[in-house]
Amino acid sequence: MSTTTTLAGAALVVTATAMLALGSSAPLTLQRTPEAMIRVAFSARPERLETCREMDAEELAALPTHMQQSVVCEGRTASYKLDVWHNGTMVASANLHGGGLRRDRQLYALQEVLIPAGSSVVEVRMTRVDSLESGDSHQPVNSGTSESTMDPSRAAREADERRRRMEGEVPPSLELRETVVLAPRGVLLVTYDQSSRQLRTMRDPK
Amino acid sequence: MAAPPNALERPALRLLSAADALGNRLYGSRFNPLYQSGTIVIALLLVMIVSGLWLILFYRVGAPYESVLRISSSPVLGSWVRGVHRYSSGAAVVFAVLHMARMFAQGRSWGQRSLAWTSGIIALGVLIVCAITGYVMVWDTFGQLLAREGARMLDSLPILSEPLARAFTGEEEPAAAFFFVNLFAHIALPLGLALVIWVHVSRVARPKILPPARLTWTVLGLLILASVVRPIAMLPKANAFVLPEQVPVDLFAAFWLPITRQLPAGVALMFLAATTVVFFAIPLLTRRRGASAPEPSFVHEEICTGCTQCVQDCPYDAITMIARAPDSPSAARSAEVAFVDSDLCVSCGICAASCAPMGVGPPGRTGRDQLSRVRTFIPEEEVAAGRTVAVCCNRGAAGWRKELEAEGAVVYPVDCAGNLHSSVVELLVRAGAAGVLVLSCPPRDCWNREGPKWLYERIYNDREAELQARVDRDRVRVASASAGQTREAVAALRAFMKDTSALNLPDAELAADIDTICEPVPVTEDL
Repeated sequence: MSTTTTLAGAALVVTATAMLALGSSAPLTLQRTPEAMIRVAFSARPERLETCREMDAEELAALPTHMQQSVVCEGRTASYKLDVWHNGTMVASANLHGGGLRRDRQLYALQEVLIPAGSSVVEVRMTRVDSLESGDSHQPVNSGTSESTMDPSRAAREADERRRRMEGEVPPSLELRETVVLAPRGVLLVTYDQSSRQLRTMRDPK
Repeated sequence: MAAPPNALERPALRLLSAADALGNRLYGSRFNPLYQSGTIVIALLLVMIVSGLWLILFYRVGAPYESVLRISSSPVLGSWVRGVHRYSSGAAVVFAVLHMARMFAQGRSWGQRSLAWTSGIIALGVLIVCAITGYVMVWDTFGQLLAREGARMLDSLPILSEPLARAFTGEEEPAAAFFFVNLFAHIALPLGLALVIWVHVSRVARPKILPPARLTWTVLGLLILASVVRPIAMLPKANAFVLPEQVPVDLFAAFWLPITRQLPAGVALMFLAATTVVFFAIPLLTRRRGASAPEPSFVHEEICTGCTQCVQDCPYDAITMIARAPDSPSAARSAEVAFVDSDLCVSCGICAASCAPMGVGPPGRTGRDQLSRVRTFIPEEEVAAGRTVAVCCNRGAAGWRKELEAEGAVVYPVDCAGNLHSSVVELLVRAGAAGVLVLSCPPRDCWNREGPKWLYERIYNDREAELQARVDRDRVRVASASAGQTREAVAALRAFMKDTSALNLPDAELAADIDTICEPVPVTEDL
């Protein structure tokens, strides 16, 4: 092989290697403008809209012991409307409902909206769409005789479970209004705090 | 005739021939990286495994970014090892794509080769997914971008009750379990890849797994050089609360990212799925149908001597020996007879040249067919007048036939130099040719895998069916040149003609009965 060929071969190899190195970290522009972002992201358990009634002694007796419960409920899971407002203008809207085929699982919200950086008034509202029809209630509508046939401690446990479930559900209406100053390319996260049952904001801790 | 390239393959083949010729000119055919694309991928996988095993010692799922930062900032731990690991993955994708393009251009993507094509596509997909999990492991801005984009697309499928994208919104730091699962995938996928590669080469005999040592060390040296000269920079840590303006991305693993980011999630997923389907559909799109589909080899049981040479030479393990039927008229010839599995045979015709009595080969391309064809050729082209005959593989001859003819040679094209029966060469010499130059494709470029290797062995090393000792070896030469190497082909011809010009012209023996000389087997008319 001639010197020229050898040099050309070496040059090609070096060029290919350089292209490999450059191609493995090629800059990709994700966002040209220095806008900020409102990100609404949370999960919550939707409310159950249901009619409950106490079972009478005859019904309870027909059930095996381990399936007996004093109150039975039937109903559906609520759906919600989520609106995001920026300086008085609605910038995003979504209908939220529970996950799963029966829509009875956690609901998930994920909305991302680019907004100009700087001072802004951010409002996020989530309101239940379904109205509470007459009869929809967590409380039993009739008074049966179950208490006389069931262990009182078991009835109390049931009541406690119902109360805890209701506490875990998202309130019928959530609202957040906050004046924020967002840095260019900064993200304001609006999320739901289960312990306080309120929306709250999070930003880069740095 | 073997199947010629179709309209889809022709432009790719032209491009490939030009690139091959350049590679041969610069590095020689033995070290042409384009010829070794598949084996280089395997070598790069080994490099990735070894470098990955070292890196995994220092990786922590509880502190992914910090642990990688520690590796990157320490030359002792091997910031350069990380570079080698990353660059080798990029190079593996490049060479896998080159290998795929080569198989496509050469029409080796359909029929019996569909399994290799399909498994190759799967292997490439696994390689890319494995690279993506590797980037997510670091959990820098690029890893976060890949994770978010992947989650965005997967969330468009109505199968997950909880959107994956929520894991990266900043509500909480991704859990260590996420990085553990990702790490598991990064390690498990190469194991799966080994299985896929095994399937990939399962239908070829004597698969070549690694490139020549010199090429392997050169590739490794270049990877180390690149890692030292341009070490992998540590990007900022993933932060869900900052929108990066720009992120350096690996275009080899994430070439799809600039496209999918512009599309809605569902459309992006459909786009990737459709692209994948097209690649999987290539065997159907390129499949030869009807008359253009070459027929598999067949065995003349009456002629087969049971020598097993075709079994040994078949590059696709398509021929086996089976017991002859006891009531067969040729039962006395041998206990076993060659059997061609048409599901494995690609009709390469290598077996035709391996059979001394010319009892096997694709229809119309057996040794006997070749002899009858050359018998017509000899008087037509006035070979007996002492002309030099250049027996060229069709692939190469397509590139430089005119140039050889301009040098005064008679060009005799064959499907593949590897299925050229040595008796054809003998007949040409005995007919009065000044010399016979067999120009094959370079060994690693043979479309039938082992054609040039067996040709060389048969002409020079007495491998069955060998060129008989009675043939003047000074008048026969084997050389190789790819389709784009016109200059090299002409140079080989000139050198050969110069050498043979000093020899006395032999007496023509046109009547030579090569069939009988080879093997006195009575052949019935219906054969």
